[in-house]
Amino acid sequence: MEKNKTSQDSIKIFNRRSFIITFIGLIISLIIAIRLFSLQIINNSFYKKKSVENKVSIKSTPPLRGDIFDNQKNLVAANSSFYEFAIYKNLNKFFLKEVNQLNSLIDLDLNIPNISKQLQSFNSYIPFILSRANWEQIVKFEKNKFLFTSIKIIESKKRYYPYKNLSQIIGYIGKSSDSSELYPQGIFHLEKTFDDHLRGKPGKIFNEVNSRGKIIREIAIEEPIKGKSLNLTINLKLQNFAQSILPSSNKGSIVVLNRSDGSILSMNSNPTYDAQLFEDRNNDAINSFFNDSDKPLLNRAFNGFYPPGSVFKPVPALLGLKKNILNENTEIICNGFTSLADRNYYCWKKGGHGRVDLKKAIKESCDCYFYELAKQINIDDLSDFANSLGLNMIYNIGLSNAQKGLIPNKKWKKTYLDQGWYQGETLISCIGQGYNLTSPLQLANLYSALINGGKFPYPRLVKEEPITYLGEELNPKHQKVILNALKAAVQEPSGTAYKLNIENPSFVKIGGKTGTSQVVRIKEEDREDDLYKTKETEDRFKDHSVFVGYAPIEDPKYIASVIIENGGSGSAVAAPIAHKVLNFAYQENV
Amino acid sequence: MFKDFKSLLNINWIYFFLLLIIFWIGEINLYSAAGGKLDPWAIDQLKRFIYFLPIVFFVLLLQPKFIFNIAELILIAVILGLLITLLFGYTGMGAKRWIRVGGLNLQVSEFAKISLVIFMAKYFHKLNAQKTIGIMRATIPLFVSLALFLLVAVQPDLGTALIVLILGLVAIFYAGIKLIYPFLSFIAIVLISPFLWNLLKPYQQNRIKIFLNPDLDPLGQGYHIIQSKIAIGSGGLNGNGFLEGSQSSLDFLPEKETDFVFAIFSEQFGFSGSLLLILIFLIFFLIPVFKTFKLTQVFSKIMLFILSFKIFLEFLINVSMTIGLVPVVGVALPFMSYGGSSLLSNMIICALLMNLMSVEEKKRMFS
Repeated sequence: MEKNKTSQDSIKIFNRRSFIITFIGLIISLIIAIRLFSLQIINNSFYKKKSVENKVSIKSTPPLRGDIFDNQKNLVAANSSFYEFAIYKNLNKFFLKEVNQLNSLIDLDLNIPNISKQLQSFNSYIPFILSRANWEQIVKFEKNKFLFTSIKIIESKKRYYPYKNLSQIIGYIGKSSDSSELYPQGIFHLEKTFDDHLRGKPGKIFNEVNSRGKIIREIAIEEPIKGKSLNLTINLKLQNFAQSILPSSNKGSIVVLNRSDGSILSMNSNPTYDAQLFEDRNNDAINSFFNDSDKPLLNRAFNGFYPPGSVFKPVPALLGLKKNILNENTEIICNGFTSLADRNYYCWKKGGHGRVDLKKAIKESCDCYFYELAKQINIDDLSDFANSLGLNMIYNIGLSNAQKGLIPNKKWKKTYLDQGWYQGETLISCIGQGYNLTSPLQLANLYSALINGGKFPYPRLVKEEPITYLGEELNPKHQKVILNALKAAVQEPSGTAYKLNIENPSFVKIGGKTGTSQVVRIKEEDREDDLYKTKETEDRFKDHSVFVGYAPIEDPKYIASVIIENGGSGSAVAAPIAHKVLNFAYQENV
Repeated sequence: MFKDFKSLLNINWIYFFLLLIIFWIGEINLYSAAGGKLDPWAIDQLKRFIYFLPIVFFVLLLQPKFIFNIAELILIAVILGLLITLLFGYTGMGAKRWIRVGGLNLQVSEFAKISLVIFMAKYFHKLNAQKTIGIMRATIPLFVSLALFLLVAVQPDLGTALIVLILGLVAIFYAGIKLIYPFLSFIAIVLISPFLWNLLKPYQQNRIKIFLNPDLDPLGQGYHIIQSKIAIGSGGLNGNGFLEGSQSSLDFLPEKETDFVFAIFSEQFGFSGSLLLILIFLIFFLIPVFKTFKLTQVFSKIMLFILSFKIFLEFLINVSMTIGLVPVVGVALPFMSYGGSSLLSNMIICALLMNLMSVEEKKRMFS
């Protein structure tokens, strides 16, 4: 009885405890069920996505970059295939041994310590490029292929630039600074500006992979889309011709413009560089471009800024006519110099031009005539007017580092030099010297404005760009006066460029203006002494030779703007080059 | 020593068929883990099951009294086995867990659980307690539990060791220790856990941190649990379908045939399949529990309750592990994880349970 009672009590305890334990077990089961509900029902889509991401690897395939053509559909930038030795670390543990083997077998002259260092931290699944492979090397490699398991030959696409003299227009491509960008992008000039247009769309290969990244099967392929092609206004024939007549001894540039639609038909700058070397990753050559004091990367037609010299004279002349400061018959006497505030300002012709009217002043480039005019000109008016004629402004034609140059005004001088303006400086400005800085392209646009009667087409390098117009209408009478004088400068005896007619009478008849861009300001006292002469003889102090001309004279179509650095006077060097290039453009009807 | 052969007919057939169902689900799961192949796991596990059947019959036929009598012997044998494991054991995965017995790699720690429960059952039976038990009378079971825990923990096999310890503690609780002691221990653990944290080695602390946030080390120690959650979560309500689990077939899930079989199951059969599995294991646990209510013999009660609880506990811990509720400590899913020792010990446990459930109770049957 005693015993029975005891076991009754202990049984109660057992049963009570088993309820507690079972209850806890049920609670845990419930927690598990809730957790499963949260994972599988509430967050199902999240994990589903993760699961797909897990098993699908997306491999990006590079698109072909769009081709670039000249205005005759000649290919000037394209894609070419090339072959490289590449190593896949994941394919063989002893990949370094294979690199050594390859190096000795094919004489690749690899920098083994450097490569092994780079390879150490390199992703195993991405090919590491060891070296370019030429045809002989490929043949040799294929014969000994059994020796290599981790080294393969891969084909890649490379940008191909067949014409060195277009490098300063097309630019080059390179590795993006954005590390998430897989493929090269445009770094310079048109390649950069039209990168979106040329770039294309990468393709995608969707692979199902296992946990070790091994491809189980291909799920889908999205083909890459080639970039759109770009059509330049450049005429390759003219471009090549212009390059051939640029003197190799001097730096300089030529730009040829179609005055009716603003097309830039050729644009050459000397010295130039070879964009192909950037694509070939020839680092020594690239560094030498950047360090060269001759600045081969500088497109002098676009980004070379020089005082325009006498080529600028039509601007104050038109302003004088517009402001009624003078008319076409206004005359002065040029004695070789004029004075303002106890200072003498000299004409380029010692002894002077004698009696000079506006036409003669432009034709013979009389400085005194413009000094006299300048005495009545407000520099701010001149600056504004020059601006309306296409100077002192940035041209966005797709080239990098666009700059505006300078036609000074009072505000500019106050801001940058913290000085007031002197009328004497207006005198220097009116003959295109002093602070004035223009690029050959700007000068070509200035003459385009003159020929087009004020409203001129915005320059274009790319046919895809729409034609737009700039500038203000000129008084046709004034325009006619100036054009007559510019014609006389070439076509009439004693014109500054008259000898063009004598030297090449068969060439197309042109109008134009010579200029001499002073490198060193010549002080009046220097003119008489020997220092001036020594300066003239030393090449780097020689003036730049400038000429802007247009052809044919009756109905101008082409404008050529030429600068030859340290070439001396405009008539001697730049003018014959401009004449040749205009004649070529005209004869070939580019 | 042995019962009559006919007594085999008296076993709880529902329980037996449930066991077969669970094993069969496990087989299907191993088949799918191998990507729809019997090789290498499903066929192996099936062979083991068949090899082990004679042992099951042997255990089924044992007289409970005989088991009762040899309880201490079993315990001593297991402790010896654990010591042998430590001294001469076969090292795998950085731990000495196995010894070779008759062509099988045996994990003695699996049997430590059974021996502990048998020992406890006998101890409390002989104690013949009238009411709740004080701390003094729980000293020996506590000591034995801790000894087994330590012997297993130094292998090191923290998962199994913890199961051993939990089983020991639950058995003492079930046997009727005064509630104040578990309560006091709980408070003590809470109080000393900050100090314990400082006692842990940095890599152990790291493991706990990664458990709390697997994304700290997504490709290292957090990888298992992240991939397991992806597999389970992508299953949705009804699962991706049989053999359609990409996490498993593309090898994203490590240890999918052992500790993470539940993820394989759940990826294929979804939330509804998982709930069904929980329900099956719950019923499987409750059948012996209901039987205990009809029993008066302490030995049988403890044996039935704690051994049945052992299978359910391992199920709960394993599933909690795969869904990120507890750290990954290496506890197999009963009858479903690939592995011989776990299968054998669970088959023996079920044999013991069926044996005891089929016995007609007599007073003084264990005296």
